[in-house]
Amino acid sequence: MSRIEALSSFVESAPPGELTEVTKAIKSILGEDAVESELAPAYQKYNEEQFSTVKLPGGSAEVLVSPYNSLGDGRYYDVESASSFAFEHATGQASEVQSYALESAHEDLVKSLVKSLSTHASEHYPKSTAGVYPIEDDSQLAIVTVANKYSPTNYWNGRWRSSYIFTPESGNLTGTINVDVHYYEDGNVRLLTKKDVSVSSAGGSAAEVMKQIATAEKTYQEDLNKAFGSLSEGAFKQLRRQLPITRQKIEWEKISGYRLGQDIGGGRTK
Amino acid sequence: MGDATDDSLSGVGLALTVLHPSIYSLQRYTGKMADPIDSALDLLRRLNPKDVKRNVDHIVELNPSLEEDLLESVDIPLSVKKCSKTKRDFLCCDYNRDGDSWRSPWSNDFEPPIQEGVTPSDRVRKMEVKANEAFDVYRELYFEGGISSVYLWDMDDGFAGCVLLKKAVNPSSQSAGSWDSIHVFDAQDRARTAHYKLTSTVILSLGTNSDSLGALDLSGNMVRQVEQDMAVEDDGSHVANIGKMVEDMELKMRNLLQEVYFGKAKDVVGDLRSIPPLSQTNRDRATQREMISSMGK
Repeated sequence: MSRIEALSSFVESAPPGELTEVTKAIKSILGEDAVESELAPAYQKYNEEQFSTVKLPGGSAEVLVSPYNSLGDGRYYDVESASSFAFEHATGQASEVQSYALESAHEDLVKSLVKSLSTHASEHYPKSTAGVYPIEDDSQLAIVTVANKYSPTNYWNGRWRSSYIFTPESGNLTGTINVDVHYYEDGNVRLLTKKDVSVSSAGGSAAEVMKQIATAEKTYQEDLNKAFGSLSEGAFKQLRRQLPITRQKIEWEKISGYRLGQDIGGGRTK
Repeated sequence: MGDATDDSLSGVGLALTVLHPSIYSLQRYTGKMADPIDSALDLLRRLNPKDVKRNVDHIVELNPSLEEDLLESVDIPLSVKKCSKTKRDFLCCDYNRDGDSWRSPWSNDFEPPIQEGVTPSDRVRKMEVKANEAFDVYRELYFEGGISSVYLWDMDDGFAGCVLLKKAVNPSSQSAGSWDSIHVFDAQDRARTAHYKLTSTVILSLGTNSDSLGALDLSGNMVRQVEQDMAVEDDGSHVANIGKMVEDMELKMRNLLQEVYFGKAKDVVGDLRSIPPLSQTNRDRATQREMISSMGK
């Protein structure tokens, strides 16, 4: 594997909110300070895949960066503020804001979706950023939400991403939900999930589409909560007992007297 | 739910000192570039723990001078070899390795065989045999399967060793899990007592994949360290003392893993997204506050 592939794999697997630390470590390992231009494609991939958010100069709301709102040459646009901006992938800064008028046959639907998406988000995400963008020659709409919560002083960071592609002509809705949680106090624990969503006829109005999205996300979160329970009760318990079947700790002074399979009741599970 | 301002896990009742060497020390950046080995360990603490072996290889390719330090201080899932003399499986790590061969705890022979591989002194090998018998019982009692291996080696003022345990399960076609324990210790002989220092790592990996839930991977490792003085009558006491320390440590770490994997991870998901509408939750909280304040009147 080449140097650039190795470095890019580090950038692309950076946990939520830890890209700066990952970059710092890379520089120190290499003993070089100027790696940004070499890593530019990896940063761009990371930012677009992870829906990185940024505050526009002079604005208060955050906007997101994705493959769906890219205008090329490092510029992206936002529907709600009707503006476009240059995004510096290495530093995560936005600049050169210009007004941007959306041109789409689905303009009304996009605007209603932006509105209902924001209502939905305010009910279920304490802090999130969302966007709706026409793609594929205006034949489909990308509906994107990202919610981050960073708590580095408590050694954890988390990110929820959902993105859907809605085809107005057929009413098809497909998408993916990803959860990424990193916990790193005296260790390194990572939760990574991916759930594909597919609804064959999601209706045509913004309200109907949002209802499908809301149902899919609620169901997924409930299923995820159940999965924690079943992993804890299933695989985790089967790996190691809390105490031996006798419910007593081992008498180590008498360990040579233990006869496997007789005194201890619990037969071999092979 | 408790106070949300302090959600570090130091409050789960673990009376353990946390002073593992450099691996998890918090790197303080002072504008100057940090020591590359500290940065490499910091990077490994951040990247997906499931890819630790691949990431170590990449770091070594980028900076070959880090190889020795990384192999010494980074724990990766244990590999398994078969002892050709006893036909029993044993676990491999840096401590029973000599070049490209690994010493079997059951036969004391290297696999594949090598000329003059390093083996413990007779006294320490005798303890090693006893410790392997004891931890084989421990493994059966707690893991009900899996593989265990204990390796000891001589030190100037005593001896040191490691206790390794590994188990994998497939409760259903959709889920899988694996547990690797790596307990590294040293024992310094004193008059009628010994001072033990134990550093324990558990690598726990869990995953499910189904149409309804999609893919879920919950993997990682946790490290803890403890020091203790214990009475020693003869070499048999050492095996019992190490047994007790490892047993206590694994009990604590199992509780900690339970808390982090199924408590903390789930809580963070709940912090990102709320199933009940937030307006409802906020109304409920306001009502609760009003009730509490009216009760106080």
